[in-house]
Amino acid sequence: MKEPALSRKQYTFAWLGLLGLTLLNTLIAFVNLGVWNTVIEIGIATIMASLVAGFLMHALYETKVVRIVVAGGVIWFLIFMTLTLGDYMTRGWLPFPGK
Amino acid sequence: MPESATLACREQFRTPGQQRETASIGMWVFLANEVMMFGGLFVAYTVYRASHPEAFAAGSADMNILLGSINTAILLTSSLTLAFAEHSAQAGNQRLLGLFLILTMLIGLVFLGFKFTEYYQHFQEHKAPGIWFNDSSPYAASIQMFFVFYYVMTGLHAVHMIIGLGILSVLLFRAVLGTFTAEYHTPIMFGGLYWHFVDIIWIFLYAIFYLPGLHK
Repeated sequence: MKEPALSRKQYTFAWLGLLGLTLLNTLIAFVNLGVWNTVIEIGIATIMASLVAGFLMHALYETKVVRIVVAGGVIWFLIFMTLTLGDYMTRGWLPFPGK
Repeated sequence: MPESATLACREQFRTPGQQRETASIGMWVFLANEVMMFGGLFVAYTVYRASHPEAFAAGSADMNILLGSINTAILLTSSLTLAFAEHSAQAGNQRLLGLFLILTMLIGLVFLGFKFTEYYQHFQEHKAPGIWFNDSSPYAASIQMFFVFYYVMTGLHAVHMIIGLGILSVLLFRAVLGTFTAEYHTPIMFGGLYWHFVDIIWIFLYAIFYLPGLHK
């Protein structure tokens, strides 16, 4: 149960990675790729969020039970999001009158 | 407090490590709640954007990408200086801890300054939702909806920044009093978690509000 301790070098590398990915995300957004734009925007943002959570918030260096709590938060959010969007995105698929 | 109890290991804990881990779990559970609160807004945004894609692209094109990108870099930098503050706290360097806390707060204030400049610009351009909103395009109503999401979500984020600044002020005050040592600095670490979390939210806000309008 030792406290996670990262070096300044590790923090700085994570920060440089984040700045680089911000630049990359912004530059790619200028190119029209249709629906792939959204996929890439959210994809790169997710990688950046993982960098922040893993290194700056040292989730990767935490004890097992803490990592389970972190993963639990993300998984619950994904479940709620999938179910809600599953409802909204499939409305109108069946031709019920009055809809 | 009995004599044996210290800040790093209060009487209900066996070891300082157990106390730290308990605090860590508590903080992460709180952050999971925050994910749910922002998550609801992100899902609502997704539903509206899926049904009004043109209007949301048009609304996003009105964003100030330069200010937005600079602000993203500024916020990421504030997270780095706060990480350095945590590092100094772990090393027991109280002077550096104080300096990095002050630096983080100043950078956070610069972020809020740019953010409110943007709000003011949108207000001047009659993009702020409400009676002043004015847009001649055929999707005007949906573009207004885009700006409702923009103001509510970035506004809630800004409120979190202001709360974060309050937390950092308290931490700075306690740091100046010399509370934090190499043995006990849990509040610095978990105040930091909150700040970094707010950073994560901004990363997604930047991706959904600023970027979609760039490739029109």
